[in-house]
Amino acid sequence: MSAAERIRKAIAVVNAAADGAGDEEITPTEIAEAIRDCLELPEIGSIPNVRKYLGEALDATSDGMPADFVAMTLYAALGALQEGHSLN
Amino acid sequence: MRSAEGRGRTLDEAVDAALIELGETRRNVDVKVVREAPDETVVEVVVIDPAAAAGAPAGPANGKAETVRSLLEGLLRHMGVRATVQVRVGTDPITLDVSGRDLGALIGWRGETLRALQSVTNVMVGKHLDEGERVIVDVERYRQRREHTVREIALRAARQVKMTGDAITLDAMQAFERRAIHLALEGDPDVTSSSIGEEPERRVVVGPRKPAE
Repeated sequence: MSAAERIRKAIAVVNAAADGAGDEEITPTEIAEAIRDCLELPEIGSIPNVRKYLGEALDATSDGMPADFVAMTLYAALGALQEGHSLN
Repeated sequence: MRSAEGRGRTLDEAVDAALIELGETRRNVDVKVVREAPDETVVEVVVIDPAAAAGAPAGPANGKAETVRSLLEGLLRHMGVRATVQVRVGTDPITLDVSGRDLGALIGWRGETLRALQSVTNVMVGKHLDEGERVIVDVERYRQRREHTVREIALRAARQVKMTGDAITLDAMQAFERRAIHLALEGDPDVTSSSIGEEPERRVVVGPRKPAE
């Protein structure tokens, strides 16, 4: 799975928590796990700001910030990743 | 508010019959299924009047809704997007309709940009909202149309499940779409819906309701 796919997966988990699909209970631990999966990818180390935004999203999750804030930070990471790829 | 009742053998036929009577397109209406039987479907189609929506009072949350509306309008202006933002009347949570020309980029691939816009908007307006309250952002009624489409898919799947007795797994959907399906089928005594898989590949399964349930 590419870095973009992993970040999109984390965003989908956060959005599902925010939207309350009514078919599952998503815990902050699951959100944190999805973000950690993104941080483990070596691909993100070479692109500026991606690791920073993912770290901020992880901190926001553990601090109990609203899901929309976490989602916004993950979108920033996705944007930085795509920008990095287009520059390379 | 204009409305019409439509009847047909299928949901599509019933909706089309009502649309012909009203002289409207699907984009401008809300559809409510009144009755669904194997041989006939009855729907009530209500025209959404953007002019009335803009002029009508938005109820007790008017002040709050107006604040949120102007914040989103300001954000779009800073983004260089020429669009108007209106508060959808009679909705809870507050729903903001963004309309204008060539707003496809604001919706993005599978609604991704729209979803990001909604997240940013909620972070911006959070201090004006109550605890746990959220704002829904819709662009050119994309979200509303998606909800309508997945409800139709759910009803079709339910009909097929009733005929064959076999469960059907639908395509992967976003959380709000899965929610629309669960809500569409929750009152049906013959079928049940549940979700399987992991995001973003999570899918709804429509199956026969067991007698013991």
